[in-house]
Amino acid sequence: MTNDRLIAHLVLVPLVAPLAAAAFGVLVLSRRPRAMARLALLAVAAGVAAIAAVIVHIAATGEPIVIHVGGWQAPFGINLVADHLGAVMTLMAQSVMVGGILYASRCKDRCVTYAVFYPMMLTLAAGLAGGMLTGDLFNFFVFAELVMISGTVLTACSDNRRGIEAAYKYFYISLIAATSLLVACGCLYAAYGTLNIADLSRSIASRPDAPLAGIALALLLVSFSIKSAAVPFHFWQPDFHTTAPTAVSAMLSSVVVKLGVYGLIRLTTALFPHDESLGGLLVMMGVMGVAVGGLGAAGTHDLKRMLAYSTLAQIGFILVAIGWGSPAALAAAIVFTFNHAFVKSSLLMLAGLVASRTSVKSASFGAITGVGRSVPAAGVLFLIGGMALMGLPPTNGFISKLGVLRAGVGAGEWAVLAALGVGSLITMVYVTRAFQRVWWQERPEDAPTTSPTRDSILAPALLITATVALGVAPDTLLRFASHAAEFLAEPGNYIKASLGGGEP
Amino acid sequence: MTPILVAIPLLLCLGGALCAALHAHGGVSRRASVVVWGWILAGWSAAATGVLAWIGWGPGGVLESGVIARASWSWVPAWDLCFSLRVDGLGLLMGLLVCGVGSLVMGYAGHYFSKKAGAWRFLLYMMLFQVSMLGVVLAGDLLTLFIFWELTSITSFLLIAYDTRDPKARRGALKALVVTGGGGVALFIGLLVIAWMVGGTDLDLVLSSGELVRGHDLYGVALGLVALGAFTKSAQVPFQGWLPDGMTAPTPASAYLHSATMVKAGVFLLARLHPALGHTAEWFWLLTSIGLVTMLHGGITGLRARDLKALLAASTIGQLGALTMLVGQGTATSFKALTVGLLAHGMYKSALFMVVGIVDHETGTRDLGRLGGLARAMPATLAIAILAGLSMAGLPPLFGYLAKDALVVSAAQASGVPSWATWAIVGSVVVAGAMIAAQAGILVWDTFLARPRSERAEDGVHPHDPPWGMLIGPGVPAVLGIIGAVVALPTASHLAASAGSAAFGSPVDVTLKFWKGFDATKALGVIAMVGALVVFLARRPLGRLIPRPPEVLFPGVMGAVDLAAYAVTRLQNGQLHRYLLVMFAAMAGLIVWRGLPPWPGLDRAGWEAPWPVLRVAGCVLAAGSALAVVFLKRDLFAILALGASGLGVSMLFLIQPAPDVALVMIVADVLTMVILVLALLRVPAWFRRQADRLDQVESPWAFRRDGVVAVLAGAGFAFLALFLTLDHPRESAVSPWYLQHSKTAVSASDVVAGILVDFRALDTLIEITVFALAGAGVYSLLRHASPAAGDRETIAARDTGSLLHTPLLRMLAQGILPLAIAVAATHIMYGHAQPGDGFTAGVILCLTVAFRHVVLGYERSRRSKPWLRPLRLVGAGLGLAIASATIAFLVNGSFFSHVNFGESLGIPLPRDVALTTSLLFDAAIAVAVMGGGTLVINTLSGPKGDAAVGEGGHAWKS
Repeated sequence: MTNDRLIAHLVLVPLVAPLAAAAFGVLVLSRRPRAMARLALLAVAAGVAAIAAVIVHIAATGEPIVIHVGGWQAPFGINLVADHLGAVMTLMAQSVMVGGILYASRCKDRCVTYAVFYPMMLTLAAGLAGGMLTGDLFNFFVFAELVMISGTVLTACSDNRRGIEAAYKYFYISLIAATSLLVACGCLYAAYGTLNIADLSRSIASRPDAPLAGIALALLLVSFSIKSAAVPFHFWQPDFHTTAPTAVSAMLSSVVVKLGVYGLIRLTTALFPHDESLGGLLVMMGVMGVAVGGLGAAGTHDLKRMLAYSTLAQIGFILVAIGWGSPAALAAAIVFTFNHAFVKSSLLMLAGLVASRTSVKSASFGAITGVGRSVPAAGVLFLIGGMALMGLPPTNGFISKLGVLRAGVGAGEWAVLAALGVGSLITMVYVTRAFQRVWWQERPEDAPTTSPTRDSILAPALLITATVALGVAPDTLLRFASHAAEFLAEPGNYIKASLGGGEP
Repeated sequence: MTPILVAIPLLLCLGGALCAALHAHGGVSRRASVVVWGWILAGWSAAATGVLAWIGWGPGGVLESGVIARASWSWVPAWDLCFSLRVDGLGLLMGLLVCGVGSLVMGYAGHYFSKKAGAWRFLLYMMLFQVSMLGVVLAGDLLTLFIFWELTSITSFLLIAYDTRDPKARRGALKALVVTGGGGVALFIGLLVIAWMVGGTDLDLVLSSGELVRGHDLYGVALGLVALGAFTKSAQVPFQGWLPDGMTAPTPASAYLHSATMVKAGVFLLARLHPALGHTAEWFWLLTSIGLVTMLHGGITGLRARDLKALLAASTIGQLGALTMLVGQGTATSFKALTVGLLAHGMYKSALFMVVGIVDHETGTRDLGRLGGLARAMPATLAIAILAGLSMAGLPPLFGYLAKDALVVSAAQASGVPSWATWAIVGSVVVAGAMIAAQAGILVWDTFLARPRSERAEDGVHPHDPPWGMLIGPGVPAVLGIIGAVVALPTASHLAASAGSAAFGSPVDVTLKFWKGFDATKALGVIAMVGALVVFLARRPLGRLIPRPPEVLFPGVMGAVDLAAYAVTRLQNGQLHRYLLVMFAAMAGLIVWRGLPPWPGLDRAGWEAPWPVLRVAGCVLAAGSALAVVFLKRDLFAILALGASGLGVSMLFLIQPAPDVALVMIVADVLTMVILVLALLRVPAWFRRQADRLDQVESPWAFRRDGVVAVLAGAGFAFLALFLTLDHPRESAVSPWYLQHSKTAVSASDVVAGILVDFRALDTLIEITVFALAGAGVYSLLRHASPAAGDRETIAARDTGSLLHTPLLRMLAQGILPLAIAVAATHIMYGHAQPGDGFTAGVILCLTVAFRHVVLGYERSRRSKPWLRPLRLVGAGLGLAIASATIAFLVNGSFFSHVNFGESLGIPLPRDVALTTSLLFDAAIAVAVMGGGTLVINTLSGPKGDAAVGEGGHAWKS
């Protein structure tokens, strides 16, 4: 077997290793949650290692790695295309998933001991990896379904009885996303006779005014917007955080939304790169997200819910950058997407950690006011994470914001920049108020009693470390993101990589 | 000058910060007291001061040769970002202030916190601030500058709320962070605009591109944004409010941050960027007017202050206003006044703050109403206060006099402005000068010399001079105020001239003299002093007259945010109804925005297709039953109608002809019905009635609205489906290939099977995983659905079955499983040749299990087949699928590829059966689907709380 072939098969690891571990888990380890957790960690870590190797290879050669599953040449078979974007997104998703599983394995929640908890986390990881690597739109749909169903079940099995309500809402709204995506697939297949993304890209470019293309675009936009919690398709995002298990909500708000972001980037760079009005629409939605997310976060009464709202705002920043669409903006969007996953997951974990100190296990401000005084280390981490959210140095949030604002100045988008500036200001307000309330204020007399045990701080500490490391030494990521943006700027690159030079 | 030398002061301060953190360690804090540690940290800062002095006055230094010391390290090559340091006269002056005052304050802080536990936190914050502030003044790159700028905001936030239990401290910190942070955002964009104009962030580049910047269309934007950042930081009106509130910081922090250093950052920034942004009318008017108003504001509000720190804060605001005004005037004279003012203010104000800290420390109060007569008890402190106070008042022979003199001269010499403006500036300077001088008088007199107005003896407080170590902090700058003015005047002039030149952009001549002869400006100085005396004497009535300055900006912003936040959170009311409405509306909007496609006409409606009657019948069955689902009152009938609708659709598939799809549709339809009926049994009848009532009776309007939305959405999709059928170009790029290759490549005469199991096997693998997970999801969702909540009507035991006692049925149920397995096996074996596949096989097995549960009763059914554990089946199915894909990888190096073992090993097999990885995969699908379906069926038909969804009762719990 040639070396190239082996490297190509590395692309499969982040997808297959978790699935295999999940199967093995339910078959053998269903009564041994600790062993199951270790296996899950190992499987996702294997995915991280594999995708890291793939990234090194891509960075060295500048060429994406493509594998035609089963040996069937795309567009007839399904291919996985690890281009710059797909690989770096997968790396993000898998790394943060390692954090999530690590958190779950050291938390107080009862639900993590259920036989299906870790297998579901694994299928979630596999779904994310598959969705971000696949070169086929229908295959993307299938992986998105895997993500949806895993997320739903993981939310439903929460210790909190109302987790079911949250899961139901998430499921229902995701179902609309899935249906839209499926109908869009149908439209595109009807119009162009293929479902391979690269093949579609080629066909749409040659015949952009097919009657169904417009509807397909609208439905894809709806689907990806729901997944990425873009306003006004964001409603599932704030509601489930108050009840979902911390490890799960940390994943759903940090990496799962990024599947939608990934889809939007593909939409604007591969499927409909020549659409003029799409960019403006995304910018508008982004600004709406910044406003609704920021204000919602400032007005809510629950720390986790606040962080969920803040996700809307952060996604808004990303959408704005995607909408601008210049290589600089696109690179900024990728960097922002990557960085935010670490920030948001760690902050949600810290919120969950504080909540686990209370007897009611709630992150509502009423319950956790002053609890932070007994976990000062978490306060330090939260402050750093909060600085990242506010876009302050020396965290990666600063780098993210720098990238977006730079791109905006370059594009002369003054009104949008003003909105982003106001959004940043609101971020300062809510992050600071929440931090003061939880870690500085004294515990009120009538507050619920605290519990002596709490979730482990290890996972958020690691993620915050990554946050700072990415802020102090961002060059590797930025360089890779720039290459990714350059690669995406010319749709032909992706087509050539996915389908080879010739006609099918 | 080696580059690394430039970085050493910064590194020394950073080392100090690490050293401060060490004191958190119990071992360290037991051996070394806070006092000792404070002086050790002072040593670090002093060392940094020394290195800076060396950079300035050493051989080949900045002052010696007029060169600029630079150091630059590439930080982010991908974006051309550098970490650059740059020491010129201005940076040197500010750097010396930062490190020098820092050193004194650190020594002082050790004494101040001598009896407090956990003071390491304060020392750490202070040292971190020092690093940040030094970074700001020594930055050689716009971005480097901004990074440190933001760090000063954060450290200031931590210091203001050092006493985290105090609500006022927390509010003050929030206010400071929001105001200066908001300015920071503006500054960030402003700096990026400048960088974009000149094509880089390097400060040398920026400063040498003044013409370009000033001539640019966006000059106004850049200036406005940068000024916003500077004004918020330097507490200019209308952003001044955070500074008085920030006085909740421990006094050493106030002495350092909120007088000598951080608040100067804004003025420094403006001076720094003056060569690029200055020399325009906009610059002059913006800075001069804001500075002037701020100066007057500080002067006036200080008179009503009853708290010593509030008084100092007000005078600081006034001084900052004066400095801003000087930068705005943009003349050589004004920059001379600016640099002298920076030096003078840094010295006397930090000294006075530290004096106030001592007073507070000794008496426990800062209230002017309760102080007085401390002169006898604290003579040394008084001496320091007088020296610094005289400097603040601007009296010779102190340094403050030189500053005030330069200020007045500069005001009078404002060039190129209308005369009324000159008059206004001069008048304001005199008025504000008088008031600030009066404030100095109030501070010293009312604290130390006036008769005490209340009896402190009752408090049991006996104030006395603090230990000498604590006097070093305020003493040194106070004494320097006179030494600098009398002895070291040339040195100070040299430094100020160099700083002024750097800020002005061309050489500034600073010759400081106390007496150059009497002229108009001296007369103005005398007028100011007389005014000061008058104000001082009338301080009590005046203080009562001056109203509390209205606080609009911050409460306004916060109020607006909270109001808008309230509105936004109302939208998220938790009701799925509303969410769906908004989302559907947005979806419809998007589709309309993209433009509806033109109506393709009915020419291709397929009128001539065979079996027209059956087709119509299928359509009628499908649509009619679907309609019936909506209107049937009994849920069971509705479910049956749903099933009928599905059968109608499968009929259409069958006619198409698409027998594969039809078969899958039928089995899936039946399974759905079974699951729905089982689910229906779990839902108490009264509960369903209540839900109906809620929907239809209690909110009839919402019910109708939902109906309309549902009809519209359905109609939309129907239209789309119609369009898809009518406008179908029918030129699939992939179908011909499948038809051509499925027989030859994967020996599948059934093309659908070839696609599902071979060509797109990955889809199928994930789909069966989804199916299996759905089973687990049903369990999770139902875990809390408690029948104990009291269903009075449905089956008591929550155990389906046991109602059907017919012996024949029971016999059938007992024997049906082997039969079903045989059927499933044929489906799998001939999957590639005929309709039917692993999925169908799996569903058939599920249905069999359901049949057994219903007929035999759940308990008995489970007991008689203990091996039938759905979760295990799921695991086995998925495992088998991955294993078969991996086997293919091992055999021919391609994951999920097609391997025909029968052929390669020469195993004789019946016709149409092939021993391949596809067969293995089909079997795996069947097992996984059976597992997933059985999981659902078990959960729904088992008694409540039967955690034994196959794993002996403990699988779901630890």
